[in-house]
Amino acid sequence: MNKGTKTEVTEQLHRYNRNVRICHWINVVAFCYLVVSGVHIFLDFPELYWGKVGFRGYDAVFRLSDWGISWDEAGAMGNRRWGRNYHFLFAWISVINGTIYVGWNLWNKYFHKNLFLGRNELSWQSLKTDFVDHVRLRVSKGASVGRYSGLQKISYLIVIFILSPFMILSGLAQMPAFTAISPELIDLFGGRQTARTLHVICMLWMILFLVVHVVEVFVAGAVNEIRSMITGKYVVPKENAE
Amino acid sequence: MKNPVSRREFLAGAGAIGSLMLVGCDANAYLPPKVRGGLMGVSDVLTMATQRLMLSGQPLAQEHDVSEITKNFPTWGNTNPRQEDFQRLLSGEFVDWRLPVNGLVNRPISLSLEDLKRLPQRTQITMHICEQGWSAIGQWTGAPLLEVLRAAGGVADDARYVVVDTFDGWYESYDMFDVVHPQTILAYGLNGKDLPLGNGAPVRLRVERACGYKNLKFLKSINVVSSMEGIRGGTGGINSDSNWHWYAGA
Repeated sequence: MNKGTKTEVTEQLHRYNRNVRICHWINVVAFCYLVVSGVHIFLDFPELYWGKVGFRGYDAVFRLSDWGISWDEAGAMGNRRWGRNYHFLFAWISVINGTIYVGWNLWNKYFHKNLFLGRNELSWQSLKTDFVDHVRLRVSKGASVGRYSGLQKISYLIVIFILSPFMILSGLAQMPAFTAISPELIDLFGGRQTARTLHVICMLWMILFLVVHVVEVFVAGAVNEIRSMITGKYVVPKENAE
Repeated sequence: MKNPVSRREFLAGAGAIGSLMLVGCDANAYLPPKVRGGLMGVSDVLTMATQRLMLSGQPLAQEHDVSEITKNFPTWGNTNPRQEDFQRLLSGEFVDWRLPVNGLVNRPISLSLEDLKRLPQRTQITMHICEQGWSAIGQWTGAPLLEVLRAAGGVADDARYVVVDTFDGWYESYDMFDVVHPQTILAYGLNGKDLPLGNGAPVRLRVERACGYKNLKFLKSINVVSSMEGIRGGTGGINSDSNWHWYAGA
């Protein structure tokens, strides 16, 4: 009806607790550094293998040279000293930050209220509706504003409780010290090179999540969304008529 | 060399448990010779202390089955030092090669390849992990570093690092935690044959549990010291001198 006009402010809600907001932005910085430093390390040896061993000349499952970037070109782009230094530094920051985030929000039941799924949200029909809404970039309105949909909850839970631990473990499984600390961990992944390859695949999965996450922020209104992650205040737009 | 006897006893007589307890209680096992400034130093110490804590029982690195040995073990980095002294030894098939063991040892010695082979021997099939990303499995045969120090009469009480120099100008230091580990060997054999030139002939260091850059090739000399201060860059190794982690377990 009054579609062209500015949405009126009807209500503000407090969306994220301080812990979530601080951890979120630390994680933004850490994640960026981890990806960039990881790419630097990778460029110094731009092939991926399956199993325990892998080296130049061995059967690779991925070669950057097949994509038009030679070893020398990749090596010139990557700096593994810088990469290793920052990768381990931000791995620590990320692990400490993530532990505080998960511990704090399990303790104060933030996860129970906001991330864990109710029985009705787990229904096939509700997830299907969610999915269609997301694909059509339809934003939630009215009562459901400020609450995660079932699909969002599942995505966050996967990132927090599956992909992040997987990243840590597949990283540890590449470290020489773990051949003595826990060879079982390396064997669990099917060998050191498999762990390295899965580390990269898991990273790509996380980046896919990040892309969708950022797109959703813009679809839902970047200013409002980003402000709510800084100050906690989220402005609920007046329900528009369809 | 204060109280050389007690340290000698530790190296010569004490069983694994005694020496490990001595090392395990040593706070030095959790710190590099020189901690870097800023956050990077914090990260280094976190990594080293955590791993050393998890390794405090000195477990062996995983040893693999003969069937898993990598045929044609890859070579990387320098495969033939051009230095004149090395080339001379190479052309004489290393008959004249000598490994001086100096510094805070009770009886400085110089070992020939034959001397080294006469020492107690250890063969291990382990994975070499390069910091670049590649890995390969080799069967290494050599003399434990501990046996070499024992042949030199053991070390003095204040000995803290073993400094290894190579013919191509590299050097690294190893603290007693890694030195006493049974898998830390001076390897002269790979896959049942003499160590090939490209893999570090005549003798290379195997420090399982550490990245490739700590596993030096083309060994030239061994020096036992109490501190890395004043030795080249003072950080404890050619890699840490150019801002790598000194500790290479990650």
